[in-house]
Amino acid sequence: MSTTYVRMEIFRTFRNTRFVLFAIAFPVLLFLLQATVFVNTDAADHAQVAAVLMVNMMAFGTISGAMSVGGRLAFERAAGWQRQLRLTPLSGPGYLAGKAISGMLVTLPPLLLVPLVAVLFQGVRVDAAGWLHIVLGIWLGAIPFVLLGLLLGQFGTADSMQPVNMVVTMGMGFLGGLWIPIESMPGWLHTVSQAMPSYWLIQIARPVVTSDLTTGFGTAAGVLAIFGLVFGVAMIRRYRKDSARV
Amino acid sequence: MEKTQSQVATGAAVHLTGLHKRYGDVRAVDGVDLTIAPGEIVALLGPNGAGKSTTVDMILGLTTPDQGEVTVFGSTPEKAVAHGAIGAMLQGGSLLDDTTVGEMVTMVASLHREPMPVADALRRAGIEDLAGRRPNKLSGGQRQRVRFAIALVSDPDLLVLDEPTAAMDVGTRREFWKSMYEYTASGRTVLFATHYLEEAEEFADRVILMRAGRIVADGSVAEVRALAGGRTIRAVVPGATEPVIAALPAVTGLDFRDGRVAVSSSDSDVTLRALLARCPGAHDIEITSIGLEGAFLTLTADEKESESVR
Repeated sequence: MSTTYVRMEIFRTFRNTRFVLFAIAFPVLLFLLQATVFVNTDAADHAQVAAVLMVNMMAFGTISGAMSVGGRLAFERAAGWQRQLRLTPLSGPGYLAGKAISGMLVTLPPLLLVPLVAVLFQGVRVDAAGWLHIVLGIWLGAIPFVLLGLLLGQFGTADSMQPVNMVVTMGMGFLGGLWIPIESMPGWLHTVSQAMPSYWLIQIARPVVTSDLTTGFGTAAGVLAIFGLVFGVAMIRRYRKDSARV
Repeated sequence: MEKTQSQVATGAAVHLTGLHKRYGDVRAVDGVDLTIAPGEIVALLGPNGAGKSTTVDMILGLTTPDQGEVTVFGSTPEKAVAHGAIGAMLQGGSLLDDTTVGEMVTMVASLHREPMPVADALRRAGIEDLAGRRPNKLSGGQRQRVRFAIALVSDPDLLVLDEPTAAMDVGTRREFWKSMYEYTASGRTVLFATHYLEEAEEFADRVILMRAGRIVADGSVAEVRALAGGRTIRAVVPGATEPVIAALPAVTGLDFRDGRVAVSSSDSDVTLRALLARCPGAHDIEITSIGLEGAFLTLTADEKESESVR
């Protein structure tokens, strides 16, 4: 692997306008919409409510970005580009690591833009330690989603990946408390939401902005670690099977 | 250059022994032994399903043989690939439409340990002016040249090309082979699979003909032609009958029409002398050597017949 290779991977992602719209613009706009239209902007606790919505949308943008690596992997696999790369010194683990690193890096814009907008336009205030916790926590929490993207990308074709990723991302968005804040969920949906890894990604950062409906950072990190392990093992097994020299 | 010298010293560029590969009931490769010396330009011919691509995949380490051994410059294909000793244009391999040609070649170069400068690879493939273009804006022939640049950029000692000139027009094909020649002038080994017999005839030192997973002919273009029955004698022979002509020495086949005979012969000198001795009235004599295409058809057809007899 080389830095040129990883840099190229990242360039390619940002050139994809659909990606830029869905993973960057969408969470920012959705945050502004939720924070100004669906809640009372004059209420005394507005900044606090906006901070919760901000965490939700940071998580959503991060998940979309992380999962987008699956689409590129599926395309390269279907197009025979993986075979071409196997004729270079790049190893299988190197290939997957390159994809994973670029997946982690492309999560950064929504992860940084949503809070920027929240601070500038919605009066959200968090101390330095709090920001570090939120941003770093959600960023590292993206690892299981990158692995899930890489797993799904090895099943889908270039054409099917777009809808598959959309369905999975939206499913996790709706059911996991990103689009419908868990505060406004009926009891049964709150139960369902806990099966979603996205729910636990929110819980990583939630303690900083509210004490309402939090599970604690340790629990959230532990659950995400288990999801990461499961997705990671499944992804590597699938890759081994897929690239076996038959 | 240094790299080439040391690898020449280890002997064969490609060495295949007792290679077998089956997919289910199909014996894709059924006992192939082959040695390619460094610097040879070898054409691999055969009808579809002859096992060419499977053989190529095993040389590249993309497929593991069921039986037999593959060495490339004395080591395993995987090691040769890791050292950048093999460059390949794969059949039907696609390009990345979200990068420019220059970026794609740069990316592949960055993965190799000792690549040639990207500009050199683009120039050798004749696509310097396409560096800023996206592959989906290129013609089929131009895309093939991009694949060629990708195969070249590791500065490999062995180039493996699977149907390299598919989708190229005649002019582009010439250009392509010209750039190939320039590259191989420095002692590189080339193995190419092709459907265009004239390419094999024109550019290869050696022709290998495969059918049903086996090598059915292996030699210089002239040798392979000879193997298939050498030459055809055409003449007008008044009063000749089919049994008379068929009884001539070295005849491998004949076609009789209105007193005009076409005789295929494995030794046209002997056949012609006997013909003139028996039928002194023979006139309008023409001798043509059978093209590689004829050899190709004869050899692959023979195999088919003998198989159906079995």
